[in-house]
Amino acid sequence: MTDLSADLLALTTTLKMAAISTIILLVLGTPLAWYLAKWQSRWKVFFEAIVALPLVLPPTVLGFYLLLAFSPNALPGQLWQSATGNQLAFSFSAIVIGSILYSLPFVVQPLQKAFEQLGEQQLEAAAMLGAGPIDRFFTVVLPLTKASFVTATVLGFAHTVGEFGVVLMIGGNIPGETRVLSIALFDHVEAFNYTNAHILSAGLLIASLVLLSLVYLLGNNADKKTRRAKKS
Amino acid sequence: MTMSLASKSLQHQTSDQAAALAQLQLTLQLRFESITLDVEQTLGITGITGIYGPSGSGKSTLLRVIAGLEQRATGQVSLSERQLQDSDTKLFVKPERRQVGLVFQDSRLFPHLTVYQNLAYGAKRQKHRQLSIANILSLTQLTAMQHQNVNQLSGGEKQRVSIARALLAEPKLLLLDEPFSALDKNTKSQMLTIVKNIQQQMKLPMLYVSHSLSELQYIADQLVTVNAGKISPSVTIHRAIDDLNSRGEINPLTSISATVAEHLVEYGLSRLQLATAESLTQSIYLPLLEAQENSPLIGQQLPCIIYARDISISTTKPEHSSIVNHLSATITAIHYRHRHALVTLKVAEQVFYAQISLWSAKRMALAVEHNVYLQFKANAVHSYHYTEPSINA
Repeated sequence: MTDLSADLLALTTTLKMAAISTIILLVLGTPLAWYLAKWQSRWKVFFEAIVALPLVLPPTVLGFYLLLAFSPNALPGQLWQSATGNQLAFSFSAIVIGSILYSLPFVVQPLQKAFEQLGEQQLEAAAMLGAGPIDRFFTVVLPLTKASFVTATVLGFAHTVGEFGVVLMIGGNIPGETRVLSIALFDHVEAFNYTNAHILSAGLLIASLVLLSLVYLLGNNADKKTRRAKKS
Repeated sequence: MTMSLASKSLQHQTSDQAAALAQLQLTLQLRFESITLDVEQTLGITGITGIYGPSGSGKSTLLRVIAGLEQRATGQVSLSERQLQDSDTKLFVKPERRQVGLVFQDSRLFPHLTVYQNLAYGAKRQKHRQLSIANILSLTQLTAMQHQNVNQLSGGEKQRVSIARALLAEPKLLLLDEPFSALDKNTKSQMLTIVKNIQQQMKLPMLYVSHSLSELQYIADQLVTVNAGKISPSVTIHRAIDDLNSRGEINPLTSISATVAEHLVEYGLSRLQLATAESLTQSIYLPLLEAQENSPLIGQQLPCIIYARDISISTTKPEHSSIVNHLSATITAIHYRHRHALVTLKVAEQVFYAQISLWSAKRMALAVEHNVYLQFKANAVHSYHYTEPSINA
């Protein structure tokens, strides 16, 4: 396999991992963010700390514990193996699960903040007009927190693309399965193949910059809109 | 006027509902902040029931409990024959299933929707829709701005959208929580007139919370007072105001409903006729209500108030006075208070209150059963009646 086709394979693996992780993160992160925003209990801070943990923890620490959990000798690994017939450690599923945990705060935190700011007023008004909870979520909460959902999606996706430590620990380096861009880059550097390393690095740098600019642009526009709405 | 357009279709479908619906049974306890709301009352709620009380007395919380927005409340709530909550049997009908509408003080319109879409939000969620959005738009005078963004509306317009939206959810009871307290007097008059019209056309029972007695006097048929979490039984608005006067809980005022007799356009005055049993009619003049001599208002009852501090007493007929209103009255009571005397008088069946200085009371040697004359300027008669500004004027 040429270096280029290997890198392209790493790119598709990365995008696939990031896309699947982001979708799962939005599905699981939205209700989690909702409960954290509405929950009033002293235990709340503990759960908020758990969600925020990946922000401060070295990814290798998370990766190490996940590796132990995913091994065929541990209970989660065993359950997975009996359910799917495949080993969990060093699989694509493993890096998706790792990414979900690793990128959780990037999705949950903006959503939680948006839900807290939204408050109860609009929801009470919708309830008085006959809208049930699910109805209220899709017709009031979602349209009013659209910008935060975009932010959460982009941050979750971009952060997953850039992850290294967790994937290295639990995924290894299997082309087409767990070999993602950051790992491919590491390989190139180890092999003193700086040209290819430059291509990947610059590509990731520019892509990240573009994504983040997009997030801030959307954030600014949303702020302006809320400010205008509040002024009137 | 635009009001009458929708009236036929609206009345048809709601009149039979209204007959069956007249009671709100409440047995409630709810602790909030420093007060405990503690209510045990069955309220007749036909027409508009005013809920009056100082801020922090629990008025708004009472509405929120009825709406189903306060899950912590213990006790029972039922609307006519339907149980809405009962903490003993763990029954709690969710707000979206109560068929109760609530107009919030801060309108709470959906900022991502247009005026029309805000209205459609409530209408779409009704299984058996009877009202048309177009009718309600014209009833609330919103037709011209139906495609506007709600963020561009003025305070009065926002509240009109809020009321229209609540009506289109077709509630069996409409709750209004100080809906116009942030509006200027002219806009408020207009809104009160619209609400009164809606009530008359749709026969929808309403609970209207306010801390402004003059507003309630204009709009409510009966009044419930809330004080420190306790509520009084509902009585007619005039009785309620008389009770508040005699307990000294308000700035004393006279509450009247008089028939509009004529508009003296060239003098800038309108004349009301006080219902008297005797053949002699007693007239009350107030600033011109409508700039046309044959207005539809003539013959209608107009609620208005006169503050006791604006009424003076004369022992002789004040014929040489610039003050237009003088009525012959009989003193029924005199209460001496800290700095003044509050004189209660009767003109036929109508009770008036005059606040005079202790010095005047002594000098004139006023006593119960004396026949005297009441005087007040036309400007002292306040009413929230709203006149559409005339285009040609």
